[in-house]
Amino acid sequence: MSFDPQDMPVFDAIVYWMVVVGVLSIIVMVVSLLSLLVSHRGAGLRIFAEEILRSLTDLFSLSIRRIWALSKLTFIEAYRRKALAVFVVFALLFMFAGWFMGGDTRDMTTDQVKVYVSFVLRTIAWLTLPLIVVLSSFGIPEEIRVRSLHTVVTKPARRLEIVLGRVFGFSMIGTLVLLVMSGVGYIWIVRQVPASARDMLVCRVPVYGKLQFLDRAGNPADKGVNVGDLWEFRSYIEGATKARAIWVFPGIGERTLDSDGNLHLENQFLAFRSYKGNMKQSLLYDYQFRNPDTGATYTTEARPINENRGVTDVISRKLVSRTDGKTYDLIKDFVARDGTLRIEVSCIDREQYLGMARPDLFIRKPDVSFAVGFFKAAAGIEIMMILVVLLAVTGSTFLKGPIATVLTSVLMILGGEKAHAFMDQLMIGRSDKGGFQGGGFFESIYRIITHMNPTTELPDNMGFTIMTGVDGLLTGFLWLCKQVIPRLQYFNMSEYVSNGFDVPFGSTLLPCLLILVGYFLPCVMLGYFALRIRELESK
Amino acid sequence: MMNSLTSQQRKLAYLIGILLLLIPIIMLGLPSDGTKAGSRGKLAQLRTEYELGESDLGDVDPSSAAMNLVLLGMRGVAVNLLYSEFDMQKDMKRWAEMEATTDSIVRLQPHFEKVWEMNGWNLAYNTSAEWDAVPDRYFYVKKGGKFLMRGVRQNRKSTHLQYHVANVYQKKIGIADEAKFYREYFLHDPDPKFKGGVDPEFNPDEQDNYLVAKREFEKACNIEDQYRRPQHILDRTLFRSMPARCQFDYASSLQKDGKFGEVTREAWQEALTDWTRKYGQQEFSIPIGPLGTDVRFPIRLEMSAEDIRKEIASPDDAVRVAKMVESYRKMVNYYYWRTRANCESESKTAEAHRNLYEANQFYKKQELEKARDAAYAGMKGFEEILRTPEFSDLQAEESLVEECMLGMMVWEDIHRVSGEKVPADYPLKWLAAQHQGNHGMIANVQRSFKRLFLD
Repeated sequence: MSFDPQDMPVFDAIVYWMVVVGVLSIIVMVVSLLSLLVSHRGAGLRIFAEEILRSLTDLFSLSIRRIWALSKLTFIEAYRRKALAVFVVFALLFMFAGWFMGGDTRDMTTDQVKVYVSFVLRTIAWLTLPLIVVLSSFGIPEEIRVRSLHTVVTKPARRLEIVLGRVFGFSMIGTLVLLVMSGVGYIWIVRQVPASARDMLVCRVPVYGKLQFLDRAGNPADKGVNVGDLWEFRSYIEGATKARAIWVFPGIGERTLDSDGNLHLENQFLAFRSYKGNMKQSLLYDYQFRNPDTGATYTTEARPINENRGVTDVISRKLVSRTDGKTYDLIKDFVARDGTLRIEVSCIDREQYLGMARPDLFIRKPDVSFAVGFFKAAAGIEIMMILVVLLAVTGSTFLKGPIATVLTSVLMILGGEKAHAFMDQLMIGRSDKGGFQGGGFFESIYRIITHMNPTTELPDNMGFTIMTGVDGLLTGFLWLCKQVIPRLQYFNMSEYVSNGFDVPFGSTLLPCLLILVGYFLPCVMLGYFALRIRELESK
Repeated sequence: MMNSLTSQQRKLAYLIGILLLLIPIIMLGLPSDGTKAGSRGKLAQLRTEYELGESDLGDVDPSSAAMNLVLLGMRGVAVNLLYSEFDMQKDMKRWAEMEATTDSIVRLQPHFEKVWEMNGWNLAYNTSAEWDAVPDRYFYVKKGGKFLMRGVRQNRKSTHLQYHVANVYQKKIGIADEAKFYREYFLHDPDPKFKGGVDPEFNPDEQDNYLVAKREFEKACNIEDQYRRPQHILDRTLFRSMPARCQFDYASSLQKDGKFGEVTREAWQEALTDWTRKYGQQEFSIPIGPLGTDVRFPIRLEMSAEDIRKEIASPDDAVRVAKMVESYRKMVNYYYWRTRANCESESKTAEAHRNLYEANQFYKKQELEKARDAAYAGMKGFEEILRTPEFSDLQAEESLVEECMLGMMVWEDIHRVSGEKVPADYPLKWLAAQHQGNHGMIANVQRSFKRLFLD
């Protein structure tokens, strides 16, 4: 597996969110107050207090009935704008997709299934998201242009309700599109995969552990050996030495076993040979179960790896030692008091290496239906779509349609994993800590113009001190902007499903929901204030 | 001035401007009428002149052409993005995805030969080596080979690509560490879908890999001749020797596999014919004039001093040509291969090889008496052959000397095991003494000796 699902630290995330939202709110309040004091002098404070009071009144007198009515209107309006014409493109794609992607159906491989699943999920996301961005960005500006918003604002409907009605209405039409597309997509996948290969359409439910290493002398180490791979995701343990990869799996009990009482351990270790050796024989590994409380150990027989495809080892609950004939119970004898199971993996072949990363060994709980994982991934797209609606509607309260579209699209692009990694590197600013070489904005311009090597120290004088100081300020501003840009890496759940895994709640769905909730309050409030101060007569 | 015109006049002016600009565009872009002379548009004429039309270059891939058209001028940008994806997928060992990206890249650049070459190499050499199981490695060697073959179909005038196809058959399958397995898989594919037979796409005629390589190298030579597309990989004398070299490899591999009958002798006989009658008679144009001039003369590696004298009037030039012929012969090891083929196509050489091979087999089975007799017969056979002045060059031929030394090692070991003293004098003793200082060779022989117990 080439990805490593990590649970989101929920508490830390909430605290961080509160700090960012709190700081931003204070900045907005202070700036508003100061501008009111400057423009209205003594009356500024009174106006400010009245505005706050009116906002609170609007907030506490929200009417679900009015929001629902506005949502329905938004839905009907989007429908009349032929939003559902997207189904034509969708139908065309799916009618002919099988022509281009159909491999040898008699000999279906997991890679082909992977291509089908990622194609469907990607198509759904790529068709719905742009549609929703355009619809939501043009909604309010268009109403202002044709002056239909005037009739709404003269009714008892509050501006907060208008924003909420828009968000819910566009989300509803998006949900309808998504529901139909994911339903058709699911049927398409199931029909494309021949009956003989249906068992490849599964969702494995993994329990991941924590991984630590012992070096060849048996001392604890952060990592194993690097055998020259550029990607340092996996590290290697040397065969026939004391080097071990140790996994500690939490929450192990009888429920982890299958109905026959067996433990399913799935691995995908890689091989690295320092000499060719016996090429007909794959490298061998074994597992050692060790209870840290009692010191009991049990070592399995040596097993061959199956590189890049993986092996599922079925471990019987009743273990009989081959050396002394003693019988162990996997759960009673090896699960520690804190509910963890410790498994040590060693490489058997001398001077050969086995490569592994944390997700390369997991306990496989009973599989769930493919539909479960697929629709969870579709739910990921749904949450992202609502977030997009939220950002686009907020943007459209103070921008014109095309500009709001561009703003939302840019936020989506910047929200990707690579863009965030790029910004992180910019902010670190020092190559020895994983950042970019060559300093900040002005420093890098200076270095380019003067052909100065990025590793050369800058001259030590006042001018350069000011320059690096200004760069620091700009980087600080970038940091602030970065906090506002959503992290969309969690929303891509297709990789789980296409690789045959269930979508884990803690490391994907939960962060997505939290991100949505986190953006909801600030976006709606920003939209509300923007709509209140917007001059509706100005088209 | 435009401002003084009415709207209608302005529109008319724009229309005339458009029409005027259209004329050169139409003139340039007129389609070909199918004949070279009568091609009407300038671009069509140039395309015909330099044979740059899609169908001139190779098979037309409609999806590739459509993709390039849709991307307008942005295919370079798209390819760059694809290459960065490709690199990431390669580093992360996501082979299936990397293959899909490779496919997209070649669809965007179907006539960029280096792209085919690099990606074919990547699949056959780099990706295959990343897998542990030999059948998996072979699968990617095949992928690389098939990929290069696809490249040739789309660039049928590419001598380079055709050379690289042949290289996969000859070097990757024949010389890799896993060659023993690869050569076996070439005839009995490990993929269950071929039910123990060949992969028809990779080995349609069910032949030995060296014979397929020979055929593919011959195709490369034909492309060079037919389309006048010189290659820049090897010196031309070396490049043109490849088909014959494959025949040598084939004959040697038959011996290694323990086949010493008429088939092997005929293979050597054919190798001799290929080397002396076909390759030896090919003409290579070499410069013979003083530096800075371009006076050239066609030489043949099989040409005698008398031939040179007959063909060149000036004695100075004749001497210069004779020297050049000699230096080219040395470069391609011409004499050695001629001698070797001559020698190996004799039945007594085949018999000596068979004896040494059988000695190893008996030794493995611990049938020591039979092994000793066979080894001695082989040593005696080679003593006679290598003492013949005609074949004395072979005394320095490493693989043959290693074979003889292994035979001697088996023979001596049997004496030791049986508690007998090794005789003071025995056939080929002088050969061992001659190579005593060649530690690399001795290490090889010792390794092969150990392997007799392991295999």
